[in-house]
Amino acid sequence: MTRTCIKLLCTLLPLAWTSTAAAQPLVEEDLAMAYGDKATVSIATGTQQALRRAPAVATVITAADIAAMGAVNLDEVMETVPGVHVARKGTANTALYVMRGVFDANNPQILMLQNGIPMTLMFLGNKGDVWSGLPLDNVARIEIIRGPGSALYGADAYAGVINIITRTAADTHGTDIGVRAGSFGTWDTWVQHGGKLGPMDIAAYLRVGDTDGPKETIAADAQTLRDRTSGRPPASLAPGPMNLGRDAVDASLDLGYDKWRFRGGYKLRDKVGLGAGIGSALDPTSWAKSERVTADLSWLDPHIARDWGLGFTASYLHYADTVPTNLLLAPPGAKLGATVFPDGQIGGPNKWERQVRLSAYAIYSGFADHSLRFGAGHDDLNMYKTATYKNYLINQTTGAVTLTGPVADYSVIQPFMLPQRRKVSYAYIQDEWHFSRDWTLTAGVRHDAYSDVGGTTNPRLALVWDASHDITAKLLAGQAFRAPSFNELYGINNPVNKGNPALKPETNSTLEAAFSWQARKDMQVNVNYFRYTMKNAIRAVANTPGSMLTTYANSGEQQGRGFELETVWDVSRSLRVTANYSHQRSTDSATNTDAGYAPRNHLYARGDWRFTGGWQLSPQVNWVADRKRAFGDARADVPNYTSVDLTLRSERNKGHWDFAASIRNLFNATILEPSLAPGTAIPNDLPQAGRSFYLQATYSL
Amino acid sequence: MSPANVIKQQMASLWCAATWRVFASGWIVIMAGWRSVAMLWRPALCCAIGLTLIAAAAALQPGRGIAVIYPDIGEPYRSVFARIIEGIEEQTRSRVPSFAIGANPNMQEIASELRRQDIRVVIALGRNGLKFTSGLERDIGVVAGGVLSIPEADARNISVHSLAPDPGLLFTRLQTFMPAAKRVFVVYDPNQNTWLIRLAREAARARGLELVAHEASDLKTALLIYQDIFAKANPQNDALWLIQDSTTVDETSVLPLVLRETWGRNLVFFSSSVTHVRRGALFSLYPDNVEIGRHLANSALGYLSSGGQGPRGMVSLKAVRLAVNVRTAGHLGINLAGRQNFDLIFPEQ
Repeated sequence: MTRTCIKLLCTLLPLAWTSTAAAQPLVEEDLAMAYGDKATVSIATGTQQALRRAPAVATVITAADIAAMGAVNLDEVMETVPGVHVARKGTANTALYVMRGVFDANNPQILMLQNGIPMTLMFLGNKGDVWSGLPLDNVARIEIIRGPGSALYGADAYAGVINIITRTAADTHGTDIGVRAGSFGTWDTWVQHGGKLGPMDIAAYLRVGDTDGPKETIAADAQTLRDRTSGRPPASLAPGPMNLGRDAVDASLDLGYDKWRFRGGYKLRDKVGLGAGIGSALDPTSWAKSERVTADLSWLDPHIARDWGLGFTASYLHYADTVPTNLLLAPPGAKLGATVFPDGQIGGPNKWERQVRLSAYAIYSGFADHSLRFGAGHDDLNMYKTATYKNYLINQTTGAVTLTGPVADYSVIQPFMLPQRRKVSYAYIQDEWHFSRDWTLTAGVRHDAYSDVGGTTNPRLALVWDASHDITAKLLAGQAFRAPSFNELYGINNPVNKGNPALKPETNSTLEAAFSWQARKDMQVNVNYFRYTMKNAIRAVANTPGSMLTTYANSGEQQGRGFELETVWDVSRSLRVTANYSHQRSTDSATNTDAGYAPRNHLYARGDWRFTGGWQLSPQVNWVADRKRAFGDARADVPNYTSVDLTLRSERNKGHWDFAASIRNLFNATILEPSLAPGTAIPNDLPQAGRSFYLQATYSL
Repeated sequence: MSPANVIKQQMASLWCAATWRVFASGWIVIMAGWRSVAMLWRPALCCAIGLTLIAAAAALQPGRGIAVIYPDIGEPYRSVFARIIEGIEEQTRSRVPSFAIGANPNMQEIASELRRQDIRVVIALGRNGLKFTSGLERDIGVVAGGVLSIPEADARNISVHSLAPDPGLLFTRLQTFMPAAKRVFVVYDPNQNTWLIRLAREAARARGLELVAHEASDLKTALLIYQDIFAKANPQNDALWLIQDSTTVDETSVLPLVLRETWGRNLVFFSSSVTHVRRGALFSLYPDNVEIGRHLANSALGYLSSGGQGPRGMVSLKAVRLAVNVRTAGHLGINLAGRQNFDLIFPEQ
């Protein structure tokens, strides 16, 4: 495939070059003076609206940024955000967005929103393990808030919030057809349209793609360890490749009429490989499937009456996470305890969720120097069906597994979880008080009442001082919470982790100081310092000291501090440099050791160079360093790495064609993401893709 | 050209457009269908068919007599022209032939295409679009847009819709934010903006404002004038206006000076450039591109209906949107509460 890509690159790029080089870009000084620089004109001609709901340390990634960095998947964008590192979970190589050192194997501390509506699921409290990436062709921008946001967003806005804003008719003019091919047998093709249908704005998007995934080798797995003591021939399939193939379909429809907007979405991930295996033992043949259907209807009138604005949203989500082939927890011939599994230990957890969310808010600005925002809502979060297929039974006391014969339906006899339902009602209020010239205090509080874990109230304060025409200082304090996931509360018959219905939400208190400085007319510098304390952290605790059997409990406490420095510098009209450096130290208070997994030091830099012929070349470098192991893991630190990517793309200078070519991990750096402590299951960590390529062509009708 | 030939050509053009769309739609269905058959062929096919119908609905009949010539330029300015053309087509309720002009356009080919399509008025966008029209036959009318200004002598024979916001609209906004405003200072290069200042004087007088306009033909003079303005301006009643002027509004020397001094003296400063609002100007008016398209289309339709006797000369930009810097407003003690009707708000975070 790599050779094919190189050949395609050699063929297409000269073609593209000649097609655009014939038309040198015309310097339109008038346009620059009327619309301003390119960043401003993008805002002024589109629908980009800045995130101004509350003062925060935030990053906005625009579609232009995404194109420049050559990112085709949300994970690639997140790695460029200050304070964020994308770690990996062994199962399906699922991305874990680690913000400011807050790490969890399931990553439920990040609230994922799409157009302001939560995408998170109830089972693990995350975006879903059969997530398998999000394409970016239909994304207008991504807003990332670092730090707690529960006072406005509620649960899970704990370490940060990611809001993905999809394209509307205003962002897409006409019809675009695109095709992309790359390493690992990756193909994507998509079509999107934006325009009007009578008085209605309409935007539609359909993408179909598949990949075989990188075949990085897992040298040893959990079965390798078991084989050493089994007294039997090795059953482990390691060394062997990770299984990361998948098929994907994404579709969306966006209709806007007057103050109304309807959005519908469909996301299918099929034949999703299980990475290093659901039981940390290689599973080359099984696959999982997820299907997500979303719909939302919103109405917004910012000037419904004098001093009043009003809006409401109703949304629906249906999610099915199924395993049509059942999964290998341990390979054929594995000996677990005293039992040999000739066909392997096989399990098939399936779950279906339905979420209905209603919310409304109002803004009132009738009091001098005050702007009030208040809202309320109700969520009905229903994991309405579960099904369990397997060929074993678990002894809940000892954790021992017994072979029961062929795979059968154990949904009644010994399910992994019964259907569960949660209802949440909430209300919040926020006041932005301009109490003195150049000083603004924003105070907010939100109360959430859960049907299963009680109530929680979370405040937030933000003091903003416009110190001079080019310096702004912010002091932010806030508390956030994360309600336990259904798995943490109600998980049963799990060979390792057992749920605990007595769990309470975990909390996070954060203090941040942020400075923004327009250092020169062409250079912006932002720096912030933060400290946080996590309490009642939900962790899996050994049932007895040294036991492999665990139960979730509110037991952990973690403290962290650090800073993030970022700059954007327009060196010249044809060169822009974007860079950020993040440093953090997070400590597990109980053991006084590093909380583990997250890089202490992280540097990212990118140059966007526009040159003759309407082309842009964007090299980027990403340095990830000083990732300590968590307590109880004796392995050496996770190795540092530096990756370099290179993207070349046209900027629609000629006719209807656009081209892009990208090389990821140009120097084939060895990239390892840490496997979990104690590190006996996957002792050599999770290897990530080496050098890869893609080529892309888009035609605009 | 005989009416029969016109009909034939229109039909041929329609067939070309329809054939192309059928081909493109077929491609979409084939590609999308091929990849999705094994997974989810029904929803994929439905979406593809839906999109095809949408594209078909968007394919309007070609218009008659009007064409658009615009610069072939990269994003994000490309979108500016796309939106203007969208406005033109909305207003004419027809699909208007449009020609993107590169660095070395084939003038003869385009001119013959204009003749073939019986084009009687060209809407020329951007300086290069306008430059192209100078070589057109005299019986083809020209309506220009997407430029700030052109020499007045050149504007005598054509209608030019400038991208410079209308001074009257700017002053009205100023009085909304600053009811006590009495004087507006501006520094301009007479070689670029005499026409605009003439309009501004009338607009100021009509609103009870005094326009204090200083001429400066070089940057050094302009800087001295700005310093003099800062020395004598009264923040209670005076405001500074930066216009789109490459001589007197320099981004590296004038803008930093203006930002620093107006902040320190609490002097209201507004601008004709939206990018200055991002940097700290209180407000600006910036182009509403679709609306500009409608205005240009009205001019072109007027030209056609009047038999080539439409209005001539420079017209300031009246199709505008409002950008506001809330940080600057807060610093100046201007209460924006209850006045949330802004199209763009800075700073972004």
